[in-house]
Amino acid sequence: MAASASAMVVTSRAELLSLFRSLLRTASKFSDFNIREYARRRTIDGFRENRHLSDPASVAAAFADGNSQLDIARRQVLVYSLYAPNVKSVMEIKYK
Amino acid sequence: MTSKAMFPKLLPSAAGLVRRIFLSSRPLSSSSAASLATAELSSPLTNSVDADEEGIITMKGVRISGRPIYLDMQATTPVDPRVVDAMLPFYLSRFGNPHSRTHLYGWESEEAVESARTQVAALVGANPKEIFFTSGATESNNISVKGVMRFYRDKKRHVVTTQTEHKCVLDSCRHLQQEGFDVTYLPVRSDGLVDLERLASAIRPDTGLVSVMAVNNEIGVVQPLEEIGKICKEKGVPFHTDAAQALGKIPIDVERMGIGLMSLSGHKIYGPKGVGALYLRRRPRIRVEPQMSGGGQERGIRSGTVPTPLVVGFGKACEVAMKEMEYDGRRIAALQERLLKGIREKLDRVVVNGSIEHRYAGNLNLSFAFVEGESLLMGLQAVAISSGSACTSASLEPSYVLRALGVDEDMAHTSIRFGIGRFTTEAEIDNTIELIVHTVKKLREMSPLYELDKEGVDIKSVKWSQH
Repeated sequence: MAASASAMVVTSRAELLSLFRSLLRTASKFSDFNIREYARRRTIDGFRENRHLSDPASVAAAFADGNSQLDIARRQVLVYSLYAPNVKSVMEIKYK
Repeated sequence: MTSKAMFPKLLPSAAGLVRRIFLSSRPLSSSSAASLATAELSSPLTNSVDADEEGIITMKGVRISGRPIYLDMQATTPVDPRVVDAMLPFYLSRFGNPHSRTHLYGWESEEAVESARTQVAALVGANPKEIFFTSGATESNNISVKGVMRFYRDKKRHVVTTQTEHKCVLDSCRHLQQEGFDVTYLPVRSDGLVDLERLASAIRPDTGLVSVMAVNNEIGVVQPLEEIGKICKEKGVPFHTDAAQALGKIPIDVERMGIGLMSLSGHKIYGPKGVGALYLRRRPRIRVEPQMSGGGQERGIRSGTVPTPLVVGFGKACEVAMKEMEYDGRRIAALQERLLKGIREKLDRVVVNGSIEHRYAGNLNLSFAFVEGESLLMGLQAVAISSGSACTSASLEPSYVLRALGVDEDMAHTSIRFGIGRFTTEAEIDNTIELIVHTVKKLREMSPLYELDKEGVDIKSVKWSQH
C-alpha cells in the first residue's frame, strides 16, 4: 500500500491549474444555460472543497476524477450543441 | 433517397460548423453561419415549435419569449449530462439484448445492466439481488400493492395506506377493494405527517401491507420512515414505501428504515424517463404475484426485455446522486430559503402547505391568498411551475393532498408548487421572486376579496346573497 502510494507520481500545481482552466473553458461552451452554469459552479466548488487535500494519493485520485469529468464535459458540449433548441432560456435573453 | 446520399457529406461540414460556432463567442443571431447551421442541423424536434422571431416561441396559442425558468422538478428533472454520456454508447454500437446468452452483444449489455443494478442498490443500502428494473415508480407501486396482496390473498385481506399517497397507489388500492380486499386510508395531520399511533392501531391481524410514501410529490413532506418501519416490523407486516421523490435527495437505508418493498424512479433523479426499480426484500423474503407474464426476465417479477440504455442511465444517475447528495442538498436548501424569504418580504398572506421542518427542501408548496392558482400560472409564462402534481393539474379540482391536510377549499385553489433542483441558479430564483410578486400584486389589485380583507373584514363571516 505505502509503496504504491509513494511510487505514485505527485501531481504538480501546474497540472491542477491547467485542469481547472480546461474545465472552466469547457463548461462555458455548453449551449444550455443551466448546464453551463452548473458545470462552472461545480468546477469551482469542487476545487474549493479539495483545496486542503495534502496526501499525494488522494490528490492524484481527485485529479484523475477531474480529468474524467473533463472528458465527459467535452463530449457532452458537442452533443448538447447538436440538439440545441432554436430559442434560448429567458435567463439569457432578458436578464443578461 | 437524397438525404441518404447527402449524409456522409453533411457530417464533416456540420462538424466544421459546430467548431466554428464554438470558437466564435458571438451569439448565433447575426452571423450567416448560424442560419446555415440551423438549416442543415435543424433537429426533427424544432418543427413542432413555431419559432418565428428570434426568442419567441408560439405554442398552444401562447407566445413565450425564451424558454421558461424550469421550477417543476417534482414532475420531472432534466437529464444530467453525465447520465446522457453513460447512456449514449448503448444507443449506438452496444445495442445488444442483455438476455442474449450466445454473443458479445448480449454479454456486454448484461454486464452494463448488472453494474447499474449495483449502483442503484448502493444508493439505498440494498443487495443488488433485491433490485428489479421496471418501467417506473408507477409500475413498481402497482406490483407492490396489488402483487403482495394477491400473493398472500388467502390469509391477508387488508391494506393500510394514507390519504396523501400518489394516485397510482390509491388507484391500486381502489382496484383491490373491487376484488374484495379491505383498505384503510389513514388521514394525515395538518402538517402532512402521518400519525404513528393511528397507523399502529389501524394494523389488524389480517393486514398484508402498509404503504406510506417517503416524500410527498405535492407538498414535499418527509414521512417518519424509520418509525413506521419499526411499527411494521413489530407487527410483522411488510412495509412498502414509494420513494420516487426521495431517492437521491434524502438518505435512504432499507435496513435502518425496515423497508420491505420500495418503488424508485429514474426521471426524478436526473435520469431517463421510462425506467424505475422495485426493491424487494430477500430476508425475510417478501413475495409478489407478477403482473407481466412473459419470458421471465428480472427473475420472473417483471417480464420483458430490460432496456439497457435506460437502466444504464438510471444506474449512473444513482451513482451521481450518491456523490452529489450532500452538495446538492446544501445548495437546494439555500435556494429554497432564498425563494421563501424573497416572496415573504414583499407579499403578505402567503402560507406554506405542509410541514416546513420535515420537508425535502427542493419542494416549496405555497398558497397565495386571494389569487387563483391557475390564473397565476397563466400570468407567469416565463416560469415553468405547476399548481400541484402533473397528473391532476389538468383538472380544476383542488388537490386532494391539500384537502387531506385540512386546507380550506379557497386556499387549496391558490397553491403553487416550486420545484428546485441541481441545475437551478440563484439568478433564476431572484427572477422568479420578482415575477411572482409582480403577478400576485396585479391579481390582488383586481380582487374585491383582498380589498375586503385589507379593510379587516373576515371573509368567512360575509353572507353572500344571490341575485
